[in-house]
Amino acid sequence: MLSRVVLSAAATAAPSLKNAAFLGPGVLQATRTFHTGQPHLVPVPPLPEYGGKVRYGLIPEEFFQFLYPKTGPYVLGTGLILYALSKEIYVISAETFTALSVLGVMVYGIKKYGPFVADFADKLNEQKLAQLEEAKQASIQHIQNAIDTEKSQQALVQKRHYLFDVQRNNIAMALEVTYRERLYRVYKEVKNRLDYHISVQNMMRRKEQEHMINWVEKHVVQSISTQQEKETIAKCIADLKLLAKKAQAQPVM
Amino acid sequence: MNENLFASFITPTILGLPAAVLIILFPPLLIPTSKYLINNRLITTQQWLIKLTSKQMMTMHNTKGRTWSLMLVSLIIFIATTNLLGLLPHSFTPTTQLSMNLAMAIPLWAGAVIMGFRSKIKNALAHFLPQGTPTPLIPMLVIIETISLLIQPMALAVRLTANITAGHLLMHLIGSATLAMSTINLPSTLIIFTTLILLTILEIAVALIQAYVFTLLVSLYLHDNT
Repeated sequence: MLSRVVLSAAATAAPSLKNAAFLGPGVLQATRTFHTGQPHLVPVPPLPEYGGKVRYGLIPEEFFQFLYPKTGPYVLGTGLILYALSKEIYVISAETFTALSVLGVMVYGIKKYGPFVADFADKLNEQKLAQLEEAKQASIQHIQNAIDTEKSQQALVQKRHYLFDVQRNNIAMALEVTYRERLYRVYKEVKNRLDYHISVQNMMRRKEQEHMINWVEKHVVQSISTQQEKETIAKCIADLKLLAKKAQAQPVM
Repeated sequence: MNENLFASFITPTILGLPAAVLIILFPPLLIPTSKYLINNRLITTQQWLIKLTSKQMMTMHNTKGRTWSLMLVSLIIFIATTNLLGLLPHSFTPTTQLSMNLAMAIPLWAGAVIMGFRSKIKNALAHFLPQGTPTPLIPMLVIIETISLLIQPMALAVRLTANITAGHLLMHLIGSATLAMSTINLPSTLIIFTTLILLTILEIAVALIQAYVFTLLVSLYLHDNT
C-alpha cells in the first residue's frame, strides 16, 4: 500500500522538483525554471473512484495475483513466518506481546468503527456536492423564472388591445353621461322659466277674477235696498213653511 | 535483540548515520494534501479533523494570536501522529527524547513571552503579581511567580517526555511479564495480557492527550501575551 503511495508521490513530485525552491540560492539563480510552460490546470487526469484493493489492509491484491501462477501466497507467508520464528530471525520478546496488544486494539477499532468513519467521510463529501448542486440548481431556477416572467410579459403585450378597448368604452360612456346630464339641466332650466311665466299668467287671471267678483258683489249689495230685503226675507219664510208642511206630509203616505 | 529495558529509546542510527531525521520526517507522509474539492475518505476525514481542532483552538485568540495558528495546528498534529506511531512495535518515538521536546518547548515559550514583553510590557509584568495579595507577601510572591514563569518551558518538555517514556516503559515491562509468565502459568498470563490491552488503550489516549495538552499550554501562554 505504501509502495503505491511512494510511486505516485514520486511521479507527481518529480516534475515539480524542477521548480523546487530549496536547492539553495546559488543554484536557484543559475537554473531558474519557473513558469516556462502553461500551467497544467485543465487536463488534470481524473481521480480513480475507489482505491486499490488490499487484503488484510496491508498487502495489495496485485501481489496475490502476481504469486498465484507461481506459488500459493498463503503457503509462502506461513513458510516465511515459521522460518523467521524457528531460526530466531524474529525473536519472541516482550515487544511481541506489546505488538499483539496494539495490533489487536487497532484491528478491533477499525473493524468496529471503520464503516462509521467511512460513512461520515462520504457524508461530508456529499454535503459539499449537495451545496454546489444546490447553488447550480438555484441559478438555473432563477434563470427559468426570469424566462417564464418574460414569456408571460410577452403574452400580456399581445392582449393589451383589450385594455385599450375597455378604456375607450369607458371614456365614451363618460362623455355620453356628461352630455345627457347637461341636456337634462338645460331642459330643466327652460321648463323653470316657462313655468314661471305660466304661474304669473294664472295669478293674474285669478286676481282679475277675484277683483271682478268683488266688484259685482259690492254693486249688488249696494243695489239691494232695505225694503226689498224685508220682502225677500218674508217670502223665503213663507216658502220654507210650505216646504216644511210638504215634507212632514210625505212619510204618512 | 533488545538488551535492556531502555534499548528502544536509543536514537536509531543506520551505520552511524542518524535515521532519527527520517523518522521525524515520516509522519507528514501520512497526511496527504490534495488540490481537489472532493477527496478520498482519508483526506476528507483528516481535513475535517484539522478544521475542527484549529477552530476549537484558535477561537480564543485575537488577531495577533491567530498568526500563530499554523504553528500550533502543525504542532498538535506532529505530536499526535508521532506519539501514535510510536505505539507500533519496534518503532522509535522522537518525543521520548528530552532534547527534541526542549527544542520544541523553549522556542515557542520564549517567543510568546518575548512577544508579550515587547508589545504590552505593563500587562506582561503584571502577571508576576496576582490580584489581591496582602502587602507583606509581595516580594516573596514576585519571586515565586518569576520562578513559575521560568519553569514553564522545562515543565512543557519534561511533561511530554516523561509521559510518553513512562507509557512505553510500562508497556515493555508488562510485555516482558507476560513473556515470563507464559511458560509458568497460562491463566495468569491471560490476566496480565488483559492488563496490557487496557494499558494500550490508555496509551492511545495518552498519546492524543499529551499532544493536546502541549499545544493548549503554548496557546495559553500566547493568549496571555497578546
